[in-house]
Order: sequence, then structure tokens, then C-alpha cells
Amino acid sequence: MADFIGTYGALIVSMVLGALLGLSLYLPLMAGQLSLASPGFYALGGYIAAILSTTVFTSSDNLFPIPLLLLEMLIAGIVSGLLGVAVGIPALRLRGIYLAIATIAFVEVLRVLSLNLEITGGAVGIFGIPQPFQTPIEYLWIALPLLIISMVLIYRLERIRVGRALTAIREDELAASAMGINPTYYKVLAFTLGAILAGVVGAISAHFLNTWNARQGTFDASIIYLTFVLIGGSRTFLGAVVGGMLFTALPEVLRSIADTGGLPTWLAQFLRDGRLIIFGLLIVLGTIFFPQGLVTPDIFKRRKFNQTKDIIQQTK
Amino acid sequence: MTNDIILEAKALTRRFGGLVAVNNVSFPVKKHEIFGLIGPNGAGKTTLFNLITGLIPPSSGQLTFDHQEISQLRPHQIAALGIARTFQNIRLFGELSALENVIIARHLHIHSNIFTGVIGVPPASTEERKSQQKALELLELVGLQQRAEEKAKNFAYGDQRRLEIARALALEPQILLLDEPAAGMNPSEKQKLSEFIRNLRDRFDLTIILIEHHVPLVMGLCDRIAVLDFGQLIALGEPAVVKNNPAVIEAYLGND
Repeated sequence: MADFIGTYGALIVSMVLGALLGLSLYLPLMAGQLSLASPGFYALGGYIAAILSTTVFTSSDNLFPIPLLLLEMLIAGIVSGLLGVAVGIPALRLRGIYLAIATIAFVEVLRVLSLNLEITGGAVGIFGIPQPFQTPIEYLWIALPLLIISMVLIYRLERIRVGRALTAIREDELAASAMGINPTYYKVLAFTLGAILAGVVGAISAHFLNTWNARQGTFDASIIYLTFVLIGGSRTFLGAVVGGMLFTALPEVLRSIADTGGLPTWLAQFLRDGRLIIFGLLIVLGTIFFPQGLVTPDIFKRRKFNQTKDIIQQTK
Repeated sequence: MTNDIILEAKALTRRFGGLVAVNNVSFPVKKHEIFGLIGPNGAGKTTLFNLITGLIPPSSGQLTFDHQEISQLRPHQIAALGIARTFQNIRLFGELSALENVIIARHLHIHSNIFTGVIGVPPASTEERKSQQKALELLELVGLQQRAEEKAKNFAYGDQRRLEIARALALEPQILLLDEPAAGMNPSEKQKLSEFIRNLRDRFDLTIILIEHHVPLVMGLCDRIAVLDFGQLIALGEPAVVKNNPAVIEAYLGND
């Protein structure tokens, strides 16, 4: 058991963080907005934590104090939220593919900024970010509650007025506005919630990964998170969670397949390094064969539908 | 009271480039009347609806609701004032159930925000329950309550139209705009729809404006009728008067 945790502890934490990043993309998607902005907020949150813990919160303790970590997460969340509103209001006037392009541009702007500013360490980034825990698996103390809370909040959100407004906008924005729903307000709301979540995850990840640089917030990351949601399931938050965990684990699985003897070198090489090609292929295949992803709401609705049918039959 | 004007268009004009879709149209709509809007295809009727509901702004002219200028308001603001509509091409939320479609339209009448709603304490939870109840009542009104959980896209065309009306009623509007509600219906269905619309007006104290192609339906149902042709208002008045107007006969009635 200890061996398993030793080898796979970091992977398990990565999977939970991956699930959270999937959720950060799922939130704007609830309103039908394809936003690829999560890596930007993720990088921002990470830089905030990295800068604060290496310059402001320097402590001589062996381990970085957890309350300070939580404070960094709070600050990262607030800053991401404010930036989310600032970027969201103009960007969400755009539809579909144009919004996606605008969010890609946003991520790129942040990336180039981080490459050139001194405070972010330029191209080298920030090293030696202090650890609040002795072993990687202990990060679950923070990551897992965050995931559970996020899942509960989104579950509740979908069942109330705000969640319904988002769904209506996704289905038919024009009809939704004719029903009294302000599309801009709710689109920015969903976008900002996703931004806050991505920022908080970034703050945790900076400590988890020990170093932080411009490579954390790239267009490649956008595509990877998109795969989480597109294949995992775009119509239910469980899809984003399952997709996030599955596809964070996938490169490791591919790597261990590549490491088992007996494969030709080119195949082993492809499995190890061709991750993005494989993700791209999966996106294409997924959208053809599983347009709503692997985990769909119909799986849950079928049971509920039968129950309701029975109730209606009984009252006849 | 019944002489009060609830909605008024004054010199309303809308251009799309060189095309004048609505040309200097003025008319008042009185409270509680059933007001018909007819005219050949392309006369500008749906454009007029889109102007009234804020989907597009007018190029010039004014629109007042209860003496309040509304021509620059956006659709959700118009809905908040109490003007609801159905669409010519039926715009239901297809992937959602009939019940969900109607509950969504209760948006303006639920006041819980994201914080109280997520935690789920009263008054948020009571509001949720009440919305569900209200939505079921409206479905019952249009005879669709047995199929409340079915996806809207699976309903037959006629049932979809009824569902759209139920959804519009969930807004508790003062004015209901119906865009070709009888399209695709056979004569007996049209008759039932006519009675249904009249009942709606009486039961909910509504003012109803409807676009319709089927002229006998409009003549039998409406208190007053406006006739559009190429974006211009060519007649306005009670059905008997409009029916005999030579311009109307030439433009439209002759081609029924």
C-alpha cells in the first residue's frame, strides 16, 4: 500500500487537479460558451502563489504553513474573478468560434507577459516554491475537499434558477432572453466562476509542482482541458470530472505501456511523446461517436423518467 | 378602462440596408383586446414583432408600453416589463423536458440568488417548489401535463406550439404576442385554438396580439386588425371594416 502511494501519490493528486480543471471549463460551457481561457487563469493563480510564497510569505519553517496556502488560494481566486469579469464582459459578446479565439488570445497574452516580466522570473520562471506537505499524496487534504465542494456546488447550481438560466442560454440564447434572462450577465457569471476555479487550482499546483513558469499556461493546455470535457462528457459535471481524471492518467498509462518491453521503438516513442497527437485524435473521434461525451445526463434521466412514469400511472 | 392604450407604435420604421421592412407604421393597441396583424408573406409582420420585443432596434420611430418608451430596450428587459411571445419557427429548449421549458420562464418570478439558491434554504426552496407547481398547472392548461418529463423536441408540431404558449404564459405577462399560432393546424384545431385564445384573454386579463395567415380565424377572433403590405400599414380597424377595404382586398384577401 505504501509502495502504491509512493509511486502513484503524485498521479492521484494530478488526477484530482485535472478533474477540477475540467470543471473550470465546464462552467462556461453550461452557458454554451466555449472558453479556452482556463490555462490563463491557472497560470495566473500559480504565479500569485509562487510569487507570494517565495517573496512575501517567506517563512523559516520546514513546511509552508497551510493557512498561508489557503490565503494564497483565496487571493488567486479573487484576482482571477476580477480579471474574469474584466475579460468576460467584452469577450462574451462574441459567439462560438470567435469567443474561443478570443480566449486563446487571452491565454497567449498572459503567457507572453509572464515570459517578459521580471516578477514572474521571465523565461526561467520561479523555482523552489515551498511545500506545505512532506509527501505528494498529502496534497489531497486540500485538493479533494475542493473537488467535492465544487461538485456539490455545481450539482446544486444546476437545479436552481441560475443553473436553469445557463442551460436555457446554451439551448437557445434568443429564446432565453425572450423569457427574461439577461444573457450577458449569466455568460459572464459562468465564465468568472470557471476563472476563479482555475485560479485556485493554479495556486495549489504551483506548490505541488515546486516550480512555475510560462509553460503552465499555454494553448496546448487549453486543448487538453477541452479533451477532458468533450470526451468525458459536456452535458453533466460528472463528465468533466471523469474526463479530467481519465486523461490526466492517460499519459502515464501510455508511458507505462511504452516501457513494457517488446514494442518497436517508434511506437514506444509515439506513446511517450505523442500525447497531443493522441488527444487531438481523441477529440475528433469523440465528437463523431460520442457527441455528448462518455458520461451523459440520459444515463441518469432514464431512471428518473421511469420513476415519474410510474407515479403518473399510479395516479390515474 | 378598456379604452386604455397599453402599447403604441408611432412612425415605427426599420431598414435593413436598402430594404425597408417596416415603413412608418403607427397603431395603438388597447388593453385586453385581441389585436390581429395580417398581411402577405414578407409584409414585415414578424419584423414588427421583433421590434416590439427588442430583438432589433427601430431605425426610427417610437414604441411605448404603458406610456413608457421601450424601443431601445433589450429582449430580457421587455420580458421583465410584461411582454411575452411565441416564435414563428418555434424556439423551444429542445433537449429539455416540457416541464423544464416552462419552469425556465418562471425566471423573473423567482428571487433567490446564487447564494441562497445553492444552499437550498427557504425562501429559496419554497420558491422552487412553487415554480414547479405553477409550471405543472400551465402544462395542465394546455393539456400536456402527462408528458411533463418528455423532451420538448419529441413533441408533435401542434403540441410544441401549445407548449410554447404555456412557456410564454409562465412569464405572467400583460401582453402576449403569438406569431402564427395556428400554422400547420387543421380547421377543427384552428377552431379550438381560437376559443383557447379567447379563454386565455379572459382568464389571465391579457392583451393579445397575433400574427396569422388564416384570415377567417383572424376575422372571427380579433377585436381589431392591422394589415401590413410591403412594410406599410394599409388598414386598421374592426374586422368587418377591414374586410371591405379595397386596398386590403387587392393586397391580400384576394389571394387567400
